[in-house]
Amino acid sequence: MKPFQYATATSAASARELIGDNGAYLAGGNDLLGLMKEQILNPAILVNVKSLPGFGAIQPGWKVWTLGGGVTIADLEDNAELAKLFPGVQQAAAEVGSRQIRNLATLGGNLSQHSRCWYYRQRDVLCLKKGGDTCYARHGENKYHSLFTGNTCISPLVSNLAVALAALSATAIIQRGTQQLPVSIPELYAKAWDNPTAHNSLQPGDLISQVDIPVQGRRSAYLQVSEKAAFDWALVSCAAAGRIEAGKISHASVVLGAVSPIPYESAAVHRFLEGKTLDEETAGKAADLILEGAHAQAHNGYKVAIVRALVRRTLMQLTA
Amino acid sequence: MSESNSNGRFSISRRSFLKSFGTTAAVAATAQVQAVTSELEKVNAEKVLGPEAVPIVLRVNGKSLKLQVEPRVTLLEALREQVHLTGAKEVCDRQACGACTVLLDNKPVYSCGMLALEAQGHEITTVEGLARNGKMSRVQEAFVDEDALMCGYCTPGFIMSVSALLKTNPHPTAADVNHACSGNYCRCGTYPRIMKAAMKAAGVATTNTTEVISYAKLA
Amino acid sequence: MPSWPEKRTYIGSHATRVDAPAKVTGAAKYASDMQPDGCLIGMILRSKWAKAKITKINLDKARKVPGIKVAVLRDGTAERTVRYYGEELAAVAGDSKQACMDALSLIEVEATELPFVVNVEEAREESAPKVWDDAPNVSKPRVKEQGQVDKAFGDCTAVVEGFFTTPVQIHQPLETHGNTISWKDDGVTCWASTQGISSVREGLAGNLQLPQSKVRVISEFMGGGFGSKLGFGVEGGLAAVLSREAKAPVRLMLTRFDESLAVGNRPSTYQKIKLGASADGKLLAYELENYGTAGIGAGGATEGGSGGVEIPAPYIYHVPNTRARQYSVAVDAGSSRAFRAPSHPPASFGMESIMDELAVKLNMDPVELRLKNDPSEVRQREFQLGAERFGWKQKYKKPGSSTGPIKTGVGCAGAQWGGGGRGTKAEAVVNPDGSIEVRCGTQDLGTGTKTVIAVIAADLLGLKPEQITVRIGDTQYPPSGGSGGSTTAASVSPAIYDVCTKALEEVQKQSGIADARGANWAAACKKLGVNPVVVQGEWQKGLSSSGVGGVQFAEVEVDTDTGFVKVKKITCVQDGGLIVSKLTAESQANGGIIMGMGYALYEERVMDKQTGVMLNPNFETYKLPGLADMPEFDVVFLEMPERGVIGIGEPVTIPTAAAIANAVANAIGVRVSSLPITPQKVLAALGKDKLSA
Repeated sequence: MKPFQYATATSAASARELIGDNGAYLAGGNDLLGLMKEQILNPAILVNVKSLPGFGAIQPGWKVWTLGGGVTIADLEDNAELAKLFPGVQQAAAEVGSRQIRNLATLGGNLSQHSRCWYYRQRDVLCLKKGGDTCYARHGENKYHSLFTGNTCISPLVSNLAVALAALSATAIIQRGTQQLPVSIPELYAKAWDNPTAHNSLQPGDLISQVDIPVQGRRSAYLQVSEKAAFDWALVSCAAAGRIEAGKISHASVVLGAVSPIPYESAAVHRFLEGKTLDEETAGKAADLILEGAHAQAHNGYKVAIVRALVRRTLMQLTA
Repeated sequence: MSESNSNGRFSISRRSFLKSFGTTAAVAATAQVQAVTSELEKVNAEKVLGPEAVPIVLRVNGKSLKLQVEPRVTLLEALREQVHLTGAKEVCDRQACGACTVLLDNKPVYSCGMLALEAQGHEITTVEGLARNGKMSRVQEAFVDEDALMCGYCTPGFIMSVSALLKTNPHPTAADVNHACSGNYCRCGTYPRIMKAAMKAAGVATTNTTEVISYAKLA
Repeated sequence: MPSWPEKRTYIGSHATRVDAPAKVTGAAKYASDMQPDGCLIGMILRSKWAKAKITKINLDKARKVPGIKVAVLRDGTAERTVRYYGEELAAVAGDSKQACMDALSLIEVEATELPFVVNVEEAREESAPKVWDDAPNVSKPRVKEQGQVDKAFGDCTAVVEGFFTTPVQIHQPLETHGNTISWKDDGVTCWASTQGISSVREGLAGNLQLPQSKVRVISEFMGGGFGSKLGFGVEGGLAAVLSREAKAPVRLMLTRFDESLAVGNRPSTYQKIKLGASADGKLLAYELENYGTAGIGAGGATEGGSGGVEIPAPYIYHVPNTRARQYSVAVDAGSSRAFRAPSHPPASFGMESIMDELAVKLNMDPVELRLKNDPSEVRQREFQLGAERFGWKQKYKKPGSSTGPIKTGVGCAGAQWGGGGRGTKAEAVVNPDGSIEVRCGTQDLGTGTKTVIAVIAADLLGLKPEQITVRIGDTQYPPSGGSGGSTTAASVSPAIYDVCTKALEEVQKQSGIADARGANWAAACKKLGVNPVVVQGEWQKGLSSSGVGGVQFAEVEVDTDTGFVKVKKITCVQDGGLIVSKLTAESQANGGIIMGMGYALYEERVMDKQTGVMLNPNFETYKLPGLADMPEFDVVFLEMPERGVIGIGEPVTIPTAAAIANAVANAIGVRVSSLPITPQKVLAALGKDKLSA
C-alpha cells in the first residue's frame, strides 16, 4: 500500500471533513485494503468510521429493523431474531466470505464494495471501469460476468446482501453532506446500470449510515451457486420474498445477483407471481420471465441454467 | 531533519519522503495528546496520524507491547516483524487463505486484513498464546494426536479458527466445522485429519479406517 | 544382504509425527520466519509486460528511498527481452516492507512492448508472434510407434475418439519460494524454503563465487514445494546479491502474486486420442496426438521428466499397436517445473477417459475392461480390492441413468510411478547418557521424513521414537539428494537403517554387552565412558526398490440444474513396499487425492489474450479445494515388505482427476473432456449453456 494518514471520526460531520478530497472511509477494510494493496485505490487518508454513534447497532422494531452501516456481517449472521424474521438476509450474510471476513466486514462495506472483475482487480490492466478505454471482459475471459446490463462495462454486482435486502424492499440511508437521503436498494445501484466507472450510485464522501428493513410479514430466502462448496463468489445468487397464504404468493420479489451490475429484478416477474399458487410450475415460469432480455457473453451462457434453477429453488423455499 | 523510522534507524527526511506521495490531507489536526491508552479512540479521535510511524500499544497474548508503526502496516506484519511472533504466516496477504488468522477478542480475523493501529484496544491472541504453562491447549493436542498437519504452514491459522469455534460452540457438527474453517486453506491436504482433530477437541471420537493390508495375504 | 526387521513396533505404526508439537505451537521456524540481527527485507520488481525489450532501468530514485540499502538489476543488466508477465527485472533490499514497496514503485523502466502470445492454440499458428527469436513456437514432434497401428485400427470392433485437455496447474505451496541469507566472516548461512539444500548450496556458492565449504544451507521446516523448490531460483540469486551488496542479511520471500507467475507449473495438455479394441475388450490400437505448453520453457520435452509437455502414452494399459506424436508449444508465460508426478496426472486423465468411452461402446463394465488390459498384477489386485471396498458393483450404473436432477456416478483410474532410492549418507551420535542423535542432510516438506527416521531408529535400537533426536535439513549433515520423485523415504530409510545398525554394533563392541537394544541400551551406553560414539552410514541396496501402481475410485453427485459437482467418496488402494509410517503415508494419500481434486474441479491458470497478463495470481480466483469440498476418504495401503521402502507421495495424486472425470461422465451420461470440470463445462456438456432452454 502507498503511505496514508489515518484518523478516527466521532461524527458524520467530522468524517466528511477528515476524508477531504482524497480519502476513504475505513470500516471493515476487506475491500478497501485489498484495493489499496494492488494500488488500484490510493487514498491519502483513511477515516475510521467504526466509532460513529450507533453505527454498529442492530435495532429491532415492530415496523422496521434498523441496521447500522457498521454492523458486522458476523453480527447479522448470528442474530437469531433476524434469522427468524428475515431469513433471506441471514442466509446471505452467512455466505459472505469466511468467518474471518465476516467478523470485520460491515453491511455498508458489503453494499458499497467494488467490482470483483479480474480485469478491474488486476493491478496492471487499465480497464474501462478504472478510467481506461476498453472493457477487456467483453472479448476476453467473461465466464463470471453479466447477463443483463446497459453498460459497456460488463462486470456484475457481487454483494450478497444487496440481493437479499432488495428482495425485502429495504431502504438505505445515505449520509451525503449534511443530508440523510433514503434510497431504495435499486436506487443505490441504479448508476451502475449504464455508467462504466460506477460500482453503485454513491458519490464521493457518501456514507451508508444505516439500512432499514420494513417488517411486512413476508417470508424470504437466499441461495447461491458457486464453483466450490464454500468461500467462493457466487456464479449466480438469488433472493426471493413474499407473503404466503394458503399456498398463494403475494407481494412477491425475486432478485438476482452476479448477473448484472445491479441487483436484478423484473417487474413482470413480480406481477406474474402476484396471487398465484406457488409451485414448481409457477416458479419455473417466473424463471423464464426473469430471463427475458438476458444477453449471454461468449463464456457465461451457462449462468442462464443456474438462474433458472435458483429462481425455482429460492421461490420454493418460501413454501417450506 | 532526520527521524527514526519504525526500526529505530535514522533516515533522512522520511516524513518529507512520505509526503511526496501526496498523502498529506488538507485537514487540521485537533488534539495533540501523545499518550496512548486503552481509551485510544476517544483520546485520538479526530487526530490525524501518519503517514510516518506512530506509537501504538498492542495487547498480545496478555501482554501490552509498545510499537512504532506506519498506519499502512498490517497487524500481521507488526506481529511477525516487530513482536517477533512468527506463528501467524503470510501466505497470500489478501484475506483469502487463513494462514494469518489470529483472535481479536476471541474472534478469528485475518491479521493481514487489519491495520496494526486498528488492533489497539483489543485482546489479540496468536497461536503462541494458546499453551498454558508449557501445556498445549486441547485443540493443539488434538492436532498432534490426529496428525492434522503436514508441512505445518497452515496449522496455526487452523488452530485459531478451531479454537475460536469451540469457545462459542463446544459441540459442533461437521457442518459447523466446515463453516468455521471455510476461510482456511491447506495445500498439503490435511483436511480430513483437521476435521478429526476438531471433533476430538470437542470430545467426539472418530475412527480411522485406513488400513495397511499385506499383499501376500490377499485372497 | 540387509533386510528390514520382521518384528516391527514403530515402523508401520501410527506413531505421531515428531515435529507436530513445534508446528502446532508456532515454534517451528521456516525460512520466512528467520530474523537474524539487522536483517533486511528483499523484494523483486517484475515485468508488467508479457513481452518487451527492456532498454533502461533507473534505480536512482529507488536507492534514495529512506530505509533502502541496495538496489540491483537482475544479472547486473537492464538490457533484456522479457518473455512473460511477471518476469524478474530488478530487486531492492531495505529495512521494511514499506520501504521496499515504495522503492519498487520508483524504479523507472524503459521498454518497447513487443507482440506476444499467451494462448496455446494461437501460438500454434504460423502467424503467431515468436516467443523465442531463434526457434518456432512449436517444437519438433517426437513420434513413438510400436506395431502396426493403422492396420490394427482396421481390425478393431470398437473404436472411440476423443479430445481431452488439462490446464496449466500451479504448485501454490503455502510458503512461497524464498530465502533468508546471512553473511558472517566465516561464511554464509542460507535458510531456504527448499526441497534440495544441496542444490541451493551449489547455486548459492556459485552465485556468490564462494567456496561451497563456506556456504551452509538450512531447511529444517519448509511450507510445501510439490516439485517447484528443487533449485536455487532467480529469487535466490537476487537475495544473495542483495545480501552481498548490502553487507547485511536479507530475507526475500515471494508474494503470492510472484508465486503464481514465475516459479513453475504443470504444463497443459491437449490430447487427441483414438483407442480401438476387439469385441471382447482387448485393446488393439492406440493413437495419440498431444501438445501443450510449458510456458516459455518449450522444447526439450521429456517424458515423465522435469516439466515437459510429453506424457507417457499409452498410460499403463497394454496396447500392442501404438503411435504417439507429441510436441510442445511455447507461449509468453511462466515456465513449467516438475509438479507432483510430472506428466502422469494428465496422462491418466486422457487414457482413463477414453477407456471409459470404450467401455460404454463395448457395453462392458469399466473395471472389467481395465482388468482385461492391465499388465500389472499388483494393480489388477488393487482394482479388485478397491472395487470391493468401494462397492463398485452396487454403485455402477449405466451412464446418466440416475433419476432426478441430482445424478450420481462412479469412475475409476490407475497409476504407476517409480520412486526408489539412491545414495544418502547419515551420521549417528550416541552419547554416554543413552541419548542418540541421528543426522541426515535431507528435507521434510511435511512429508514426514523426520518421523520416518525416528521410527526406523527406534525399531532398530529397541527405543521409543521420542528418544531419538532427529536432525535434518542442514548441509552440515551428511548429504542426501533433493526431495523429489518420491525418493526421499527410499533414499533415507536404508541410510538410517545402516547408520543405526552400525551404531548399535559399535555400542555393543565398546560396552561388551552382546545385545544393547531396548532395556539394555542405557546400561550399555553408560559403559562408553566420556566420549560419544559417532558412526557414519549410507544407503544400502536391498532395503528399497522402485515401481508402484495405485488405483482410485470416485463417486460424485452432479446437480444437472446448476452444473455443481460434489465428490462424495474416494477409495484409494496404493502399494508402496514397506510402509514405514502409516500415519504420514495416509496423510500423503489424503493430500495427493485433494490435490487431484483441485486439478479435476477447480484449478487453472487463466491468461488474458488481450493484455498477456495472468488474471488469477491469487487464491480468490486460483481456486484450491477447501474443507467443505471434502468427500469421504477410504485409503488402503498394500504392503509388500520384501520390496523394501518405496515412495508414495506422487502416485497418490495421479489417478484422482481421471476417476472423478469418469464418475461425472457416468453420472450425467455425457463427457466433460476438459479439466477443470466446472459448472460451466458441465452445463455446456448438457447443452444448457445457451439462452434458449
